[in-house]
Amino acid sequence: MSDMTDPMPEDELLAAELALGVLAGAQREAAERRIAREPGFARLVAAWEERLAPWAAEIDEIAAPPAVWDRIAATLPAGSQSAGWWQSLAFWRGLSLATGALAAACIGALIYLGNAPQKAPLIAALDGGGHRHFVATIDTRSGSIAVQPAAFSADATREPELWLIPADGKPRPLGMLRADRAVSITIPADLAALTVSNAVLAVSLEPPGGSPTGQPTGPVIATGKLTSL
Amino acid sequence: MDLDANRSLIVAALVRIPAGDRAALQTVYRLTSAKLFGVCLRILGERSDAEDVLQEVYVTVWRKAADFDAARASPMTWLIAIARNRAIDRLRATKHSRRMDPIEAADDVADSSPVADRALESAQDHARLQTCLDGLEARERAALRGAFFDGNTYEDLAARMSVPLGTMKSWIRRAMIKLKTCLQQ
Repeated sequence: MSDMTDPMPEDELLAAELALGVLAGAQREAAERRIAREPGFARLVAAWEERLAPWAAEIDEIAAPPAVWDRIAATLPAGSQSAGWWQSLAFWRGLSLATGALAAACIGALIYLGNAPQKAPLIAALDGGGHRHFVATIDTRSGSIAVQPAAFSADATREPELWLIPADGKPRPLGMLRADRAVSITIPADLAALTVSNAVLAVSLEPPGGSPTGQPTGPVIATGKLTSL
Repeated sequence: MDLDANRSLIVAALVRIPAGDRAALQTVYRLTSAKLFGVCLRILGERSDAEDVLQEVYVTVWRKAADFDAARASPMTWLIAIARNRAIDRLRATKHSRRMDPIEAADDVADSSPVADRALESAQDHARLQTCLDGLEARERAALRGAFFDGNTYEDLAARMSVPLGTMKSWIRRAMIKLKTCLQQ
Protein backbone atom coordinates (compact mmCIF):
# COMPACT_ATOMS: atom_id res chain seq x y z
CA MET A 1 0.00 0.00 0.00
CA SER A 2 1.49 3.29 -1.03
CA ASP A 3 0.88 6.57 0.62
CA MET A 4 -0.19 9.54 -1.42
CA THR A 5 3.29 10.93 -1.82
CA ASP A 6 4.70 7.72 -3.26
CA PRO A 7 5.47 8.06 -6.91
CA MET A 8 3.51 6.00 -9.41
CA PRO A 9 5.44 4.32 -12.22
CA GLU A 10 5.54 6.51 -15.33
CA ASP A 11 3.66 3.91 -17.38
CA GLU A 12 0.83 3.83 -14.93
CA LEU A 13 0.60 7.63 -14.89
CA LEU A 14 0.47 7.60 -18.67
CA ALA A 15 -2.27 4.96 -18.53
CA ALA A 16 -4.20 7.15 -16.07
CA GLU A 17 -3.83 10.19 -18.35
CA LEU A 18 -5.01 8.22 -21.35
CA ALA A 19 -8.02 6.78 -19.51
CA LEU A 20 -8.93 10.20 -18.15
CA GLY A 21 -8.62 11.70 -21.63
CA VAL A 22 -6.23 14.60 -20.99
CA LEU A 23 -3.72 13.65 -23.68
CA ALA A 24 -3.91 15.06 -27.17
CA GLY A 25 -2.23 14.77 -30.55
CA ALA A 26 0.88 12.67 -30.94
CA GLN A 27 1.01 11.83 -27.22
CA ARG A 28 -2.49 10.36 -27.29
CA GLU A 29 -1.82 8.45 -30.50
CA ALA A 30 1.43 7.03 -29.18
CA ALA A 31 -0.24 5.90 -25.95
CA GLU A 32 -3.10 4.31 -27.91
CA ARG A 33 -0.62 2.39 -30.07
CA ARG A 34 1.01 0.99 -26.94
CA ILE A 35 -2.34 -0.54 -25.91
CA ALA A 36 -2.30 -2.70 -29.02
CA ARG A 37 1.34 -3.72 -28.64
CA GLU A 38 1.81 -4.09 -24.89
CA PRO A 39 -0.65 -6.23 -22.90
CA GLY A 40 0.82 -4.96 -19.64
CA PHE A 41 0.15 -1.36 -20.60
CA ALA A 42 -3.33 -2.30 -21.85
CA ARG A 43 -4.09 -3.76 -18.42
CA LEU A 44 -2.99 -0.55 -16.70
CA VAL A 45 -5.31 1.48 -18.94
CA ALA A 46 -8.19 -0.95 -18.34
CA ALA A 47 -7.66 -0.70 -14.59
CA TRP A 48 -7.90 3.08 -14.77
CA GLU A 49 -11.01 2.88 -16.95
CA GLU A 50 -12.55 0.63 -14.30
CA ARG A 51 -11.71 3.14 -11.56
CA LEU A 52 -13.16 6.10 -13.44
CA ALA A 53 -16.18 4.53 -15.15
CA PRO A 54 -18.50 4.74 -12.11
CA TRP A 55 -18.31 8.53 -12.50
CA ALA A 56 -20.43 8.12 -15.65
CA ALA A 57 -23.35 7.27 -13.34
CA GLU A 58 -23.78 11.05 -13.07
CA ILE A 59 -24.51 11.30 -16.79
CA ASP A 60 -28.20 10.99 -17.59
CA GLU A 61 -29.41 8.43 -20.08
CA ILE A 62 -30.69 10.02 -23.27
CA ALA A 63 -32.52 7.96 -25.87
CA ALA A 64 -30.78 8.07 -29.23
CA PRO A 65 -32.96 8.61 -32.31
CA PRO A 66 -34.03 5.32 -33.95
CA ALA A 67 -32.19 6.27 -37.13
CA VAL A 68 -28.86 5.64 -35.37
CA TRP A 69 -29.56 1.93 -35.05
CA ASP A 70 -30.67 1.79 -38.69
CA ARG A 71 -27.33 3.31 -39.70
CA ILE A 72 -25.43 0.84 -37.53
CA ALA A 73 -27.40 -2.10 -38.94
CA ALA A 74 -26.65 -0.90 -42.47
CA THR A 75 -22.90 -1.16 -41.84
CA LEU A 76 -23.07 -4.76 -40.60
CA PRO A 77 -22.28 -7.54 -43.02
CA ALA A 78 -25.38 -8.96 -44.66
CA GLY A 79 -26.35 -12.55 -44.00
CA SER A 80 -26.10 -12.58 -40.26
CA GLN A 81 -29.44 -12.93 -38.56
CA SER A 82 -31.39 -9.73 -38.19
CA ALA A 83 -34.46 -10.91 -36.33
CA GLY A 84 -35.53 -8.96 -33.28
CA TRP A 85 -33.41 -9.63 -30.25
CA TRP A 86 -36.31 -11.19 -28.38
CA GLN A 87 -36.68 -13.76 -31.12
CA SER A 88 -33.15 -14.97 -30.72
CA LEU A 89 -33.16 -18.38 -29.13
CA ALA A 90 -29.64 -17.90 -27.86
CA PHE A 91 -30.69 -14.68 -26.18
CA TRP A 92 -33.33 -16.44 -24.14
CA ARG A 93 -31.03 -19.34 -23.50
CA GLY A 94 -28.48 -16.86 -22.17
CA LEU A 95 -31.13 -15.51 -19.88
CA SER A 96 -32.09 -18.78 -18.29
CA LEU A 97 -30.09 -18.09 -15.19
CA ALA A 98 -30.47 -19.53 -11.77
CA THR A 99 -33.23 -21.96 -12.55
CA GLY A 100 -31.78 -24.42 -10.09
CA ALA A 101 -33.86 -22.91 -7.31
CA LEU A 102 -37.08 -23.70 -9.14
CA ALA A 103 -37.92 -26.42 -6.65
CA ALA A 104 -38.08 -23.93 -3.81
CA ALA A 105 -40.44 -21.81 -5.83
CA CYS A 106 -42.60 -24.85 -6.53
CA ILE A 107 -43.01 -25.49 -2.83
CA GLY A 108 -44.08 -21.90 -2.38
CA ALA A 109 -46.49 -22.26 -5.24
CA LEU A 110 -47.97 -25.43 -3.79
CA ILE A 111 -48.72 -23.57 -0.61
CA TYR A 112 -50.04 -20.66 -2.59
CA LEU A 113 -52.20 -22.92 -4.68
CA GLY A 114 -53.39 -24.91 -1.71
CA ASN A 115 -57.02 -24.40 -2.58
CA ALA A 116 -56.62 -24.03 -6.31
CA PRO A 117 -58.30 -26.33 -8.80
CA GLN A 118 -56.31 -29.39 -9.67
CA LYS A 119 -56.18 -29.03 -13.44
CA ALA A 120 -52.50 -28.74 -14.42
CA PRO A 121 -51.38 -25.49 -12.88
CA LEU A 122 -48.23 -23.99 -14.39
CA ILE A 123 -45.45 -22.20 -12.61
CA ALA A 124 -42.52 -20.06 -13.61
CA ALA A 125 -39.78 -18.57 -11.48
CA LEU A 126 -38.81 -15.28 -13.11
CA ASP A 127 -35.09 -14.88 -12.64
CA GLY A 128 -32.45 -12.54 -13.98
CA GLY A 129 -28.94 -11.62 -12.97
CA GLY A 130 -28.80 -14.49 -10.51
CA HIS A 131 -31.82 -13.28 -8.58
CA ARG A 132 -35.45 -14.30 -8.38
CA HIS A 133 -37.64 -11.30 -9.19
CA PHE A 134 -41.13 -12.82 -9.35
CA VAL A 135 -42.88 -16.15 -9.11
CA ALA A 136 -45.81 -16.68 -11.46
CA THR A 137 -48.43 -19.35 -11.07
CA ILE A 138 -51.09 -20.02 -13.66
CA ASP A 139 -54.47 -21.51 -13.00
CA THR A 140 -55.17 -22.90 -16.45
CA ARG A 141 -58.75 -23.77 -15.54
CA SER A 142 -59.78 -20.22 -14.70
CA GLY A 143 -57.22 -18.72 -17.10
CA SER A 144 -55.53 -16.43 -14.60
CA ILE A 145 -51.94 -15.71 -13.66
CA ALA A 146 -50.92 -14.76 -10.14
CA VAL A 147 -47.55 -13.06 -9.93
CA GLN A 148 -45.85 -12.65 -6.57
CA PRO A 149 -42.90 -10.29 -6.20
CA ALA A 150 -39.85 -12.03 -4.75
CA ALA A 151 -36.74 -9.88 -4.69
CA PHE A 152 -37.96 -7.33 -7.18
CA SER A 153 -37.41 -3.75 -6.05
CA ALA A 154 -39.17 -0.85 -7.63
CA ASP A 155 -37.63 1.50 -10.14
CA ALA A 156 -38.34 5.22 -9.81
CA THR A 157 -39.46 5.79 -13.36
CA ARG A 158 -40.24 2.45 -14.94
CA GLU A 159 -42.69 -0.30 -14.15
CA PRO A 160 -42.40 -4.04 -14.61
CA GLU A 161 -44.48 -5.45 -17.45
CA LEU A 162 -45.17 -9.15 -17.90
CA TRP A 163 -44.87 -10.79 -21.31
CA LEU A 164 -45.78 -14.20 -22.63
CA ILE A 165 -43.36 -15.54 -25.20
CA PRO A 166 -44.77 -18.70 -26.77
CA ALA A 167 -43.04 -21.05 -29.18
CA ASP A 168 -43.13 -18.51 -32.03
CA GLY A 169 -40.84 -16.22 -30.05
CA LYS A 170 -43.07 -13.16 -30.25
CA PRO A 171 -43.72 -11.43 -26.93
CA ARG A 172 -47.38 -10.77 -26.04
CA PRO A 173 -48.15 -8.25 -23.32
CA LEU A 174 -49.96 -9.73 -20.33
CA GLY A 175 -50.09 -6.81 -17.95
CA MET A 176 -48.28 -4.66 -15.42
CA LEU A 177 -46.76 -6.10 -12.25
CA ARG A 178 -46.25 -4.59 -8.82
CA ALA A 179 -43.17 -4.63 -6.61
CA ASP A 180 -45.18 -4.41 -3.40
CA ARG A 181 -47.91 -7.01 -3.83
CA ALA A 182 -49.13 -9.97 -5.85
CA VAL A 183 -51.01 -9.18 -9.03
CA SER A 184 -53.63 -11.38 -10.65
CA ILE A 185 -54.01 -11.14 -14.39
CA THR A 186 -56.67 -12.73 -16.54
CA ILE A 187 -55.12 -14.32 -19.60
CA PRO A 188 -56.68 -12.91 -22.79
CA ALA A 189 -58.74 -15.58 -24.55
CA ASP A 190 -56.54 -15.52 -27.66
CA LEU A 191 -53.46 -16.29 -25.57
CA ALA A 192 -54.94 -19.12 -23.52
CA ALA A 193 -53.89 -21.76 -26.05
CA LEU A 194 -50.34 -20.39 -26.04
CA THR A 195 -50.01 -20.44 -22.27
CA VAL A 196 -48.54 -23.91 -22.02
CA SER A 197 -45.50 -25.70 -20.64
CA ASN A 198 -42.22 -24.39 -22.06
CA ALA A 199 -43.67 -21.03 -23.04
CA VAL A 200 -41.59 -18.25 -21.49
CA LEU A 201 -42.69 -15.46 -19.21
CA ALA A 202 -40.51 -12.35 -19.23
CA VAL A 203 -40.50 -9.08 -17.32
CA SER A 204 -39.28 -5.86 -18.90
CA LEU A 205 -39.09 -2.37 -17.47
CA GLU A 206 -41.44 -0.01 -19.28
CA PRO A 207 -42.83 3.50 -18.98
CA PRO A 208 -45.72 3.80 -16.50
CA GLY A 209 -48.79 2.17 -18.01
CA GLY A 210 -46.78 -0.21 -20.14
CA SER A 211 -44.86 -0.41 -23.39
CA PRO A 212 -46.21 2.13 -25.89
CA THR A 213 -45.34 -0.14 -28.81
CA GLY A 214 -46.84 -3.46 -27.78
CA GLN A 215 -43.32 -4.92 -27.69
CA PRO A 216 -40.74 -4.72 -24.91
CA THR A 217 -38.95 -1.36 -25.14
CA GLY A 218 -36.95 -1.46 -21.92
CA PRO A 219 -34.47 -3.94 -20.53
CA VAL A 220 -35.69 -7.46 -19.91
CA ILE A 221 -34.80 -8.08 -16.30
CA ALA A 222 -36.20 -11.52 -15.64
CA THR A 223 -37.43 -14.58 -17.50
CA GLY A 224 -38.67 -18.03 -16.66
CA LYS A 225 -40.09 -21.02 -18.45
CA LEU A 226 -43.56 -22.30 -17.59
CA THR A 227 -43.48 -25.74 -16.04
CA SER A 228 -46.28 -28.10 -15.13
CA LEU A 229 -46.62 -28.73 -11.45
CA MET B 1 -34.36 -3.28 -9.47
CA ASP B 2 -31.52 -5.72 -9.49
CA LEU B 3 -28.40 -3.91 -10.60
CA ASP B 4 -26.78 -7.10 -11.79
CA ALA B 5 -29.58 -8.08 -14.13
CA ASN B 6 -28.56 -5.76 -16.95
CA ARG B 7 -24.93 -6.66 -16.54
CA SER B 8 -25.70 -10.34 -17.12
CA LEU B 9 -27.83 -9.52 -20.14
CA ILE B 10 -25.14 -7.32 -21.67
CA VAL B 11 -22.42 -9.91 -21.11
CA ALA B 12 -24.61 -12.70 -22.53
CA ALA B 13 -25.13 -10.63 -25.67
CA LEU B 14 -21.55 -9.34 -26.00
CA VAL B 15 -20.11 -12.83 -26.05
CA ARG B 16 -22.31 -13.77 -29.01
CA ILE B 17 -21.22 -10.87 -31.21
CA PRO B 18 -17.90 -12.36 -32.40
CA ALA B 19 -19.89 -15.15 -34.07
CA GLY B 20 -21.58 -12.52 -36.24
CA ASP B 21 -24.85 -12.37 -34.34
CA ARG B 22 -26.52 -9.08 -35.30
CA ALA B 23 -29.38 -9.65 -32.87
CA ALA B 24 -26.80 -9.78 -30.07
CA LEU B 25 -25.42 -6.38 -31.09
CA GLN B 26 -28.96 -5.04 -31.20
CA THR B 27 -29.52 -6.34 -27.68
CA VAL B 28 -26.40 -4.57 -26.46
CA TYR B 29 -27.58 -1.45 -28.25
CA ARG B 30 -31.04 -1.55 -26.67
CA LEU B 31 -29.61 -2.03 -23.21
CA THR B 32 -26.80 0.51 -23.36
CA SER B 33 -27.27 3.11 -26.11
CA ALA B 34 -29.12 5.65 -23.94
CA LYS B 35 -26.24 5.68 -21.49
CA LEU B 36 -23.57 5.87 -24.17
CA PHE B 37 -25.49 8.54 -26.07
CA GLY B 38 -25.57 10.57 -22.84
CA VAL B 39 -21.80 10.12 -22.51
CA CYS B 40 -21.13 11.16 -26.14
CA LEU B 41 -23.49 14.11 -25.94
CA ARG B 42 -21.93 15.28 -22.71
CA ILE B 43 -18.48 15.39 -24.27
CA LEU B 44 -19.45 16.62 -27.73
CA GLY B 45 -22.36 18.93 -26.98
CA GLU B 46 -23.89 18.59 -30.45
CA ARG B 47 -26.54 15.97 -31.07
CA SER B 48 -25.48 15.33 -34.65
CA ASP B 49 -21.85 14.75 -33.58
CA ALA B 50 -23.00 12.53 -30.73
CA GLU B 51 -25.19 10.48 -33.09
CA ASP B 52 -22.28 9.97 -35.50
CA VAL B 53 -20.00 8.91 -32.69
CA LEU B 54 -22.64 6.62 -31.19
CA GLN B 55 -22.78 4.84 -34.54
CA GLU B 56 -18.97 4.50 -34.53
CA VAL B 57 -19.10 3.16 -30.98
CA TYR B 58 -21.38 0.24 -31.86
CA VAL B 59 -19.51 -0.51 -35.06
CA THR B 60 -16.40 -0.67 -32.85
CA VAL B 61 -18.25 -2.96 -30.43
CA TRP B 62 -19.18 -5.19 -33.37
CA ARG B 63 -15.55 -5.40 -34.49
CA LYS B 64 -13.91 -5.67 -31.10
CA ALA B 65 -16.38 -7.68 -29.03
CA ALA B 66 -13.89 -10.58 -29.00
CA ASP B 67 -11.54 -8.35 -26.98
CA PHE B 68 -14.06 -8.02 -24.18
CA ASP B 69 -13.13 -10.25 -21.26
CA ALA B 70 -16.01 -10.66 -18.83
CA ALA B 71 -13.66 -12.11 -16.24
CA ARG B 72 -11.60 -8.94 -16.19
CA ALA B 73 -13.86 -6.01 -16.98
CA SER B 74 -17.39 -4.91 -16.36
CA PRO B 75 -19.28 -4.60 -19.64
CA MET B 76 -20.38 -1.04 -18.92
CA THR B 77 -16.83 0.01 -18.10
CA TRP B 78 -15.69 -1.42 -21.40
CA LEU B 79 -18.51 0.24 -23.34
CA ILE B 80 -18.19 3.60 -21.59
CA ALA B 81 -14.45 3.61 -22.29
CA ILE B 82 -15.11 3.01 -26.00
CA ALA B 83 -17.72 5.78 -26.06
CA ARG B 84 -15.47 8.26 -24.24
CA ASN B 85 -12.52 7.44 -26.47
CA ARG B 86 -14.46 7.77 -29.71
CA ALA B 87 -16.04 11.01 -28.49
CA ILE B 88 -12.67 12.43 -27.45
CA ASP B 89 -11.15 11.37 -30.79
CA ARG B 90 -13.93 13.27 -32.55
CA LEU B 91 -13.41 16.28 -30.30
CA ARG B 92 -9.66 16.33 -30.98
CA ALA B 93 -10.18 15.88 -34.72
CA THR B 94 -12.72 18.66 -35.12
CA LYS B 95 -11.71 21.47 -32.85
CA HIS B 96 -10.77 22.29 -29.33
CA SER B 97 -12.94 21.17 -26.45
CA ARG B 98 -16.52 22.27 -26.40
CA ARG B 99 -16.40 23.65 -22.89
CA MET B 100 -13.72 26.22 -22.29
CA ASP B 101 -15.40 28.50 -19.76
CA PRO B 102 -13.28 29.24 -16.69
CA ILE B 103 -13.41 26.63 -13.93
CA GLU B 104 -13.51 27.90 -10.37
CA ALA B 105 -12.50 25.13 -8.02
CA ALA B 106 -14.96 26.48 -5.46
CA ASP B 107 -17.80 25.89 -7.92
CA ASP B 108 -17.08 22.21 -8.16
CA VAL B 109 -20.33 20.38 -7.62
CA ALA B 110 -21.72 17.16 -8.96
CA ASP B 111 -23.78 17.52 -12.13
CA SER B 112 -26.83 15.76 -10.84
CA SER B 113 -26.19 15.16 -7.21
CA PRO B 114 -28.55 12.23 -6.62
CA VAL B 115 -27.30 9.65 -9.03
CA ALA B 116 -30.29 8.62 -11.06
CA ASP B 117 -28.55 5.77 -12.78
CA ARG B 118 -30.70 2.81 -11.99
CA ALA B 119 -29.81 0.18 -14.43
CA LEU B 120 -26.28 0.21 -15.65
CA GLU B 121 -23.79 1.17 -13.02
CA SER B 122 -23.58 0.06 -9.49
CA ALA B 123 -24.51 2.85 -7.10
CA GLN B 124 -21.99 1.38 -4.67
CA ASP B 125 -19.11 1.82 -7.09
CA HIS B 126 -20.15 5.39 -7.67
CA ALA B 127 -20.42 6.12 -3.94
CA ARG B 128 -16.94 4.70 -3.38
CA LEU B 129 -15.44 6.78 -6.16
CA GLN B 130 -17.28 9.85 -4.92
CA THR B 131 -15.89 9.39 -1.42
CA CYS B 132 -12.37 9.27 -2.81
CA LEU B 133 -12.99 12.27 -5.07
CA ASP B 134 -14.27 14.17 -2.06
CA GLY B 135 -10.92 13.50 -0.43
CA LEU B 136 -9.07 15.41 -3.16
CA GLU B 137 -8.44 19.12 -3.10
CA ALA B 138 -11.26 21.04 -4.78
CA ARG B 139 -9.00 22.24 -7.61
CA GLU B 140 -7.83 18.68 -8.31
CA ARG B 141 -11.39 17.40 -8.34
CA ALA B 142 -12.48 20.24 -10.62
CA ALA B 143 -9.67 19.48 -13.05
CA LEU B 144 -10.51 15.76 -13.17
CA ARG B 145 -14.15 16.64 -13.70
CA GLY B 146 -13.30 18.88 -16.67
CA ALA B 147 -11.28 16.07 -18.20
CA PHE B 148 -13.82 13.31 -17.62
CA PHE B 149 -17.05 15.13 -18.45
CA ASP B 150 -15.94 17.81 -20.91
CA GLY B 151 -13.15 15.92 -22.65
CA ASN B 152 -10.63 18.65 -21.79
CA THR B 153 -6.91 18.21 -22.46
CA TYR B 154 -4.14 19.32 -20.13
CA GLU B 155 -3.88 22.51 -22.19
CA ASP B 156 -7.63 23.13 -22.00
CA LEU B 157 -7.65 22.64 -18.25
CA ALA B 158 -4.63 24.88 -17.70
CA ALA B 159 -6.43 27.62 -19.66
CA ARG B 160 -9.77 27.12 -17.93
CA MET B 161 -8.20 27.22 -14.48
CA SER B 162 -5.60 29.89 -15.34
CA VAL B 163 -2.54 27.95 -14.25
CA PRO B 164 0.63 26.98 -16.13
CA LEU B 165 0.53 23.68 -18.04
CA GLY B 166 3.15 22.14 -15.73
CA THR B 167 1.06 22.98 -12.69
CA MET B 168 -2.02 21.37 -14.22
CA LYS B 169 -0.03 18.21 -15.04
CA SER B 170 1.21 17.91 -11.50
CA TRP B 171 -2.29 18.51 -10.07
CA ILE B 172 -3.80 15.77 -12.22
CA ARG B 173 -1.00 13.28 -11.67
CA ARG B 174 -1.04 13.88 -7.94
CA ALA B 175 -4.82 13.53 -7.91
CA MET B 176 -4.67 10.22 -9.79
CA ILE B 177 -2.12 8.83 -7.32
CA LYS B 178 -4.31 9.83 -4.39
CA LEU B 179 -7.38 8.44 -6.11
CA LYS B 180 -5.78 5.06 -6.68
CA THR B 181 -4.54 4.86 -3.11
CA CYS B 182 -7.98 5.74 -1.76
CA LEU B 183 -9.79 3.25 -4.03
CA GLN B 184 -7.46 0.45 -2.90
CA GLN B 185 -8.49 0.86 0.71
